[in-house]
Amino acid sequence: MYRKILAAVNEFTNSELAARYALTLSQSCDAKLFLIFVAEEGIEKNTFKRAESALERLFIDAESRGIEVKSITEKGEPYKNIYDIVRKEHIDLVFTATRREDVTKRFFIKTIARELILKMPCSVAMVRIVRMGRIHPTNILVPLRGMMKDIEERAFFVGKLASGFNSKVTIFHCPEPLTDFFHGRIYLNPAVREKHIPGDIETFTEYLNKYVIINEKRTSYGTISKAITIEAAHKRNDLIIMGASERSLLKSIISGNPVEEVLKETPCDLIILKSKK
Amino acid sequence: MKIHNLSKEEVLKNLFTSENGLSEHDALSRLSEYGTNEIKETKKKPLYLKFLSQFTHFLALLLWFASALCFLSEYLHPGEGMLTLGIAIIVVIFINAIFSFIQEYKAEKALEALKKLLPFYVKVFREQREKEIYATDVVPGDIILLSEGDKVPADARLIESNDLKVNNASLTGESEPMLRSHEPFDGEFIRSPNIVFAGTSVTSGSGRAVVFATGMSTEFGRIAHLTSAVSSGLTPLQKEIIRTTRILATIAAAVGIFFFILGFLIGRDFWHNFIFAIGITVALIPEGLLPTMTLSLAMSSQRMAKRKALIKTLSSVETLGAVTVICTDKTGTLTQNKMTAVKIYFNKELVDVKDIKNGVADNLLKNAYLCNNSRFMEGQYKGDPTEIALLKLAKEKIGDLQAKRLKEFPFDPDRKRMTTVNFLEGKIKAFTKGATEGLLPLCNTFYFNGNKIPINESLKKSIIDACHIMMDKGLRVLAFAYKEIEETGDNALELKDIENNMTFAGLIGLEDPPRPEVADAIKKCKEAGIKIIMITGDSSRTAVAISREIGLIKGDPIIIEGYEFNRMSDKELIEKIRAEEIIFTRMTPKHKLRVVTLLKEEGEIVAVTGDGVNDAPALKKADIGLAMGISGTDVAKEASDIVLLDDNFATIVNAVEEGRTVFENIKKFITYIFASNIPEAVPYLAYILLKIPLPLTIIQILAVDLGTDMLPALALGAEKPSPYVMKQPPRRMKERLLDLPLILRSYLFLGPIEAAACMFGFFWVLYNGGWTWGIMLSPNNILYLQATTACLTAIIITQIGNVFACRSAKMSVFQIGFFSNRLIFAGIAVEILLQIFIVYHPIGNKVFATSPLDFKVWLTLIPFSIALLIADELRKFYVRKFN
Repeated sequence: MYRKILAAVNEFTNSELAARYALTLSQSCDAKLFLIFVAEEGIEKNTFKRAESALERLFIDAESRGIEVKSITEKGEPYKNIYDIVRKEHIDLVFTATRREDVTKRFFIKTIARELILKMPCSVAMVRIVRMGRIHPTNILVPLRGMMKDIEERAFFVGKLASGFNSKVTIFHCPEPLTDFFHGRIYLNPAVREKHIPGDIETFTEYLNKYVIINEKRTSYGTISKAITIEAAHKRNDLIIMGASERSLLKSIISGNPVEEVLKETPCDLIILKSKK
Repeated sequence: MKIHNLSKEEVLKNLFTSENGLSEHDALSRLSEYGTNEIKETKKKPLYLKFLSQFTHFLALLLWFASALCFLSEYLHPGEGMLTLGIAIIVVIFINAIFSFIQEYKAEKALEALKKLLPFYVKVFREQREKEIYATDVVPGDIILLSEGDKVPADARLIESNDLKVNNASLTGESEPMLRSHEPFDGEFIRSPNIVFAGTSVTSGSGRAVVFATGMSTEFGRIAHLTSAVSSGLTPLQKEIIRTTRILATIAAAVGIFFFILGFLIGRDFWHNFIFAIGITVALIPEGLLPTMTLSLAMSSQRMAKRKALIKTLSSVETLGAVTVICTDKTGTLTQNKMTAVKIYFNKELVDVKDIKNGVADNLLKNAYLCNNSRFMEGQYKGDPTEIALLKLAKEKIGDLQAKRLKEFPFDPDRKRMTTVNFLEGKIKAFTKGATEGLLPLCNTFYFNGNKIPINESLKKSIIDACHIMMDKGLRVLAFAYKEIEETGDNALELKDIENNMTFAGLIGLEDPPRPEVADAIKKCKEAGIKIIMITGDSSRTAVAISREIGLIKGDPIIIEGYEFNRMSDKELIEKIRAEEIIFTRMTPKHKLRVVTLLKEEGEIVAVTGDGVNDAPALKKADIGLAMGISGTDVAKEASDIVLLDDNFATIVNAVEEGRTVFENIKKFITYIFASNIPEAVPYLAYILLKIPLPLTIIQILAVDLGTDMLPALALGAEKPSPYVMKQPPRRMKERLLDLPLILRSYLFLGPIEAAACMFGFFWVLYNGGWTWGIMLSPNNILYLQATTACLTAIIITQIGNVFACRSAKMSVFQIGFFSNRLIFAGIAVEILLQIFIVYHPIGNKVFATSPLDFKVWLTLIPFSIALLIADELRKFYVRKFN
């Protein structure tokens, strides 16, 4: 599915850590890896040097792991240059990192991460690194809802990344609670909730089994974003992989956006996958 | 591969830093990447929005609509008093909103308490020199310098350590200082000795460490995450209030609309229909219910405080009464946490401590003395209660010992033992103490009458038997072993070289007696159908023995040990949790959250006790979090709903009794309040169906609901627990505050008697004033004003009989003691004074559209009140007879 993966690197440590996820995924699916650093006009010498060093470290690491890798350094506008390379090289997936500063902006307005996730002609994995200590995730949390449009790609992404890290996967489903006019919210117990797990999640599990990934299912209730962060904090997950939000800007403003909320509150690293489909 | 598995060089490489520290530029850039090193609250609904939501629920919306209609009517038909009514309805909305908010409000200060555990300043190594910076500016990759007394600002991996000891109590609950080392470690991350965690403190030694996680990414942040994000949801009472008000509002609105349409069909004009619709709606909504409930809960919380339970959220008073499961700690809650060594096993003999003569068990006692971190300073023992008991015993029997400690391998819950290496009497000796099952396999000899004899199977069996005998008596048993070590330089000593081929010195059994009042409290719980689950760090046998002694278990309980618990899936655990008797042993506080979550998902109403920082998430998650007032940390207290001022399990049971009484009492005053809705509604039905002057105005209804009814209702809320309150199972969650018997009694039995009284009063005054059927009187007519006043007075007088009737649903008021609740009399006195003001004071007359009444009208109405009480006494008599 992914034959060419690109990781955008800059002077920040989190971009290098995010690129390490790209490295593992490339190795796991035998894809060619493109490491790119786009230096903006007027960049400081030190900043340039730091980004170059990061690129070099990643390149050496990739080569030592037998990954076909190409390192690119260009001058220009990050978004535009990356876009051109994606078009030219027929890239399947772009990895980009987002910083604490970015996520404080509502809907990441005016961030490169937002530009990439919205406008790239390929799939994009936006990575938020919150902790430098966890180098290899051992337990990945994958929150899923029903009616997924990109189930195959999502399962492939999770499966290959988990296989690369030799991690377990916890599939997590948090349905909206039922409501009754007189009784208010009705919370179902886990046994009943499990009976209502959407069929899509079963399909997702079958894909993971196909990739020989150890997985378990868990359900919870409550506000979706809170349920996800509580689960990750409680079970000490190292990484969360979520699909990108399909809510419109208007709906997000009115009733909130769970993906954005998890991005802000995540207790561990987080990857948001926006599939090309 | 994780940070604690790596070598120092790999750590520095992975965190993109060096021993010289970060540059200021790098640190600034990382601050923008990872944020400040702070404990932050997860996004929550702001307080003002919570308050505003009290104005937008269904009942409030209905009242807003009614008041808007009043203002519209005032605009269309000025001078009919609709403006006053519109304002009065808005006042009702505000009163209800304020009281609901008070009930739900809980000051969230758990995170404030957590923040206090982090330092303000911290020493770091940046740009090759030592600097002091704000702890909030620490970033991943920073090299921090640690020395005695420092608080650790962030999660960091040690790269250098000199006898560094940290106290991890705030994270793990283990109060013993732990020796740290900078060597790579292959075990579990949280147990790694090369990691120092944010919020912990350095008790001795020094070290350098590289920060790898800051702020909410730290382990401490994880607790903060769980504490601030976990919510226990609405309390059962809050759910019931929502349901009850929605039902009432729906009934009120439906009745209003129905009669509005009916009036229209039978040809009444719009204006009269409209007054009727508003009137019947206001009459059927018990406006005073929420304020009464809130005040009653506040009074109960005062009573609970007197019984040593400090209530933090008002509605949790009632939740406690609905509790079906109590998860309790053992040490300190069920027991006194006063450890005393009572039995010793040495020389193949198990003896009582008091029978040991000085000089007999010296070898074992030296072991207990030197493998010990408690201290005797300034005439006081300081340290962990278990170690204090051992030191006390050793000091009493062998006096003070002079030895130099060369090395320590601290207690580790995985190894379940600790070892110290000492220079004693010219020799290097290692002393180990720990769980028998872990220590015995490390020994190949046994100390017997001054000689070392080989341990064979029969000796092993006799040691284990002795251990089991002590455990079965509820004693905590520790095994001791020692080894002489050849001098090779202390730095070369490694655990694997010491903890083998040791000599088994003996066993010591320590007693932690149960609190004397606990057995009765447990009996009470069992009678009350409440399941008690013990969660303890002790061994299974000790836990079972103590449980039997205090009556917690009778048969063969399900016992789940910590290691099994970790391996079991949620499904397996749920199956086990359903058992009648269950004990969790060898557990740590972090396991509690899972137990509580599973129990709640099984539909149980769960109370859980806790004292440590890492108990906070479970305390928040439970329906009722009970923090220990004496031994509890500030974080646990802030995260809890109730603080037990004496740390005593019996206090929980007292509080449960009070909580159950609260639910019973709420039902009593709901019956009382609802009964008055019928005499408030009947005048409107008579007005529309009989075409008579309106017998009761809307303002007069509000005078009853928000005025005269309030204090007697509150007095009902202060009724003492009935004798059978703790003899029945916990209230089923399906049991409603507003159930059919209550509605039938209020609306079809008590209410109609009151309605008859008020209509009698109204017509009696009218007929005596010369009124004849069919004459419509103007709103200012004195006779009309007197007649409505009589109608209102009839409600007040019959409510006096009603308040006595409502003191119990089944028992006679004379059985429970006519004068046993003095507040009732105070409430009645205030009720009468208020009515006198309304009837005889010019302001009262003006506001409530009343006129002074002749005293004989009062006298005429009193028999109705007595009749009501007699009728209900007869009803109760038959209820008792046939049940």
